Amino acid sequence: MLLLANIKKELLLLSRDRLSLLVLFVMPMVLVLILSLIQDDIFRATGGAPTTALFVNLDAGDSGAELRRNLQSNGALTLVEDRAGEAFDVKSARQAVFSGDYQFAIIIPAAFTTEINQAAKESVQAALSHEDPSRRSSQITIVFDPAVRGVYRSAVLNALQLGVLGLELSRKSSAFEQLLPDELHRSMTEQMGSVFPVGMLPELPQISFDWTGQQLITLDEELASPEKYATLPTSVQQNVPAWTLFGMFFIVIPLAGTLIREREEGTLTRLMTMPVTNSSLLLGKVSAHLLICMIQFGLMLMVGKFLLPLFGTPVLELGSSPFALMLVAVSAALAACGYGILVGVVARSYDQAAIFGSVSIVIAAALGGVMVPIYVMPRFMQTLSIISPLGWGLDAFLDIFVRGGHLTTVLPRVAALGGFFLLCMIVAMVIFQRWRRGN
Amino acid sequence: MTDPAADIILTTENLVKIYPGSDKPAVAGLTLNINRGTIYGLLGPNGAGKTTTISILCTLLQPSSGTATILGHDVARQAGAVRRKIGLVPQDIALYGSLTARENLRYFARMLKVSGTMIEDRVAECLQLVELQDCADQRVSTYSGGMKRRANLAVGILHQPDILFLDEPTVGIDAQSRNLILERLVELNRSGVTLVYTTHYMDEAQQICDEVAIVDGGKMIACGNPSRLVHDSVSCENLEELFLQLTGKQLRDRME
Repeated sequence: MLLLANIKKELLLLSRDRLSLLVLFVMPMVLVLILSLIQDDIFRATGGAPTTALFVNLDAGDSGAELRRNLQSNGALTLVEDRAGEAFDVKSARQAVFSGDYQFAIIIPAAFTTEINQAAKESVQAALSHEDPSRRSSQITIVFDPAVRGVYRSAVLNALQLGVLGLELSRKSSAFEQLLPDELHRSMTEQMGSVFPVGMLPELPQISFDWTGQQLITLDEELASPEKYATLPTSVQQNVPAWTLFGMFFIVIPLAGTLIREREEGTLTRLMTMPVTNSSLLLGKVSAHLLICMIQFGLMLMVGKFLLPLFGTPVLELGSSPFALMLVAVSAALAACGYGILVGVVARSYDQAAIFGSVSIVIAAALGGVMVPIYVMPRFMQTLSIISPLGWGLDAFLDIFVRGGHLTTVLPRVAALGGFFLLCMIVAMVIFQRWRRGN
Repeated sequence: MTDPAADIILTTENLVKIYPGSDKPAVAGLTLNINRGTIYGLLGPNGAGKTTTISILCTLLQPSSGTATILGHDVARQAGAVRRKIGLVPQDIALYGSLTARENLRYFARMLKVSGTMIEDRVAECLQLVELQDCADQRVSTYSGGMKRRANLAVGILHQPDILFLDEPTVGIDAQSRNLILERLVELNRSGVTLVYTTHYMDEAQQICDEVAIVDGGKMIACGNPSRLVHDSVSCENLEELFLQLTGKQLRDRME
């Protein structure tokens, strides 16, 4: 009976705070929806929606076009050849990948058809004449965004290998078809003279099948960076900034909590009777929590630099622009603090702020590509991802950590984060002023 | 001959406050004139409009109509000027529990724009006044109810306000702390601070107030020196009896 009474009391208490209940039910539903949608393509057995890649075909012959058909027919890649009707060339494709607009560009060289036809012919000839297979091949360049994680890069390379394999088989078969009758004729003539009895089987030419393994086309991976990296960006370079940013945004909960506690305990009411401006009250909170965020940021970098290597990971490299790095960190921390202030003035209780704050950060992180890269999300989720401040921050961090970006590279995203901070603060100030005037 | 108006520190005229969504005014045309240097008791049952009136006078609420001025400054239009002249001791213990009393006082002194060089002296004086100097460096959360109330009072007087509003400053504490607070309030008043004071303890009001206003339903129903009000009544021997006679014995439960 005591237990039942306690259960009833708890349920009654819960039912009295309907807004918290709403947040408790609605926010996880939104979270499930968003996370399921963004990961849909990754877990789909069929491979899901194709990855978009730029395709720059400089080939004068038909092999480039055939490769494009192969790639499109296997369904793993969606190839884009122009933007707003203007075809990509090598330079603009590299720039588009470098700026993060696209993650991959496939560049087919001008003499592609000639080179692979020649290579196929030499390869088959070498096979028939028992010579060493030809070393000739044509080279396709794949430019990729350094921010692309290894697993997705491998997936694209595999899809490309599949397309290339089909093309190689087709070219080798053609060469074989062309060369085999001549070789048969030559072989018979050699063995039996120009006239041989009908029905007499000549010894067929011996074929070395080493040629089947010989590559006519090689793939050259290239990072879209002004100064090429000696090595590929490591998982540490990609993960540390992502999770650092995620951690920094959790300042929202203690920050909103201080505002709510001051309201509940009456200290805010007391402060409102004092000759102190709203801006000094709120900016005081922002400044203190900004400091906490920056300390947090420093600690996370130290984990990447000193602690993770102890467990066998590569050392975190901080990029070439410490000033740009600090600017991004400060603007991301400001955005987090501004959001915390807004949650603090809107939420009616600590419970509401804690639930809404934490779940909204997880959603923003998911949308912003912290958990799953934006380029592997379904198209409409990619469109939705542009509203996430965590996405802006992550992009700016990746610019510095893996794309070799500088101050000018990150400025647009820094401005967006600063704008988000200002917007949150203005809305919070308006609500705060309404409280202060007793409305 | 001095101008009587020159001695008035606080005045309200037909002050009305109707909360959004309510059809009944919390304050319904209240007119007050409080002289400088008095201890003014604002008495009334629950829901009479005392806290709403103090909230308007402390610039926390905008009146729906009517005017209120403190030292010639309109509380609605010149809130900044009013805030520099007033002090508030709210009903809640409006202190940071995880800070010590000294840290709380230092912080609020800065918010009250006490001069930097004066802060330590004022903090020490106020702590001594409420007899918390020996435990000033302990966290407020560890204090007893009476100590918290005394610390709450200390914050209200840090900047030596001209007028101090006290909303039930002795509620829920032991007799010793209550006695100390009342003694200190009288001392403050003697030093020139005007006190506007709400309480449910009629004996307290009769003991220290120069003048009281009994309000009910947002309106004033009696005003004057408490002893004189009792004396002029038909059959009341003290302020509590007069209060019950004027406001009735019906319970005043109200919804927040």
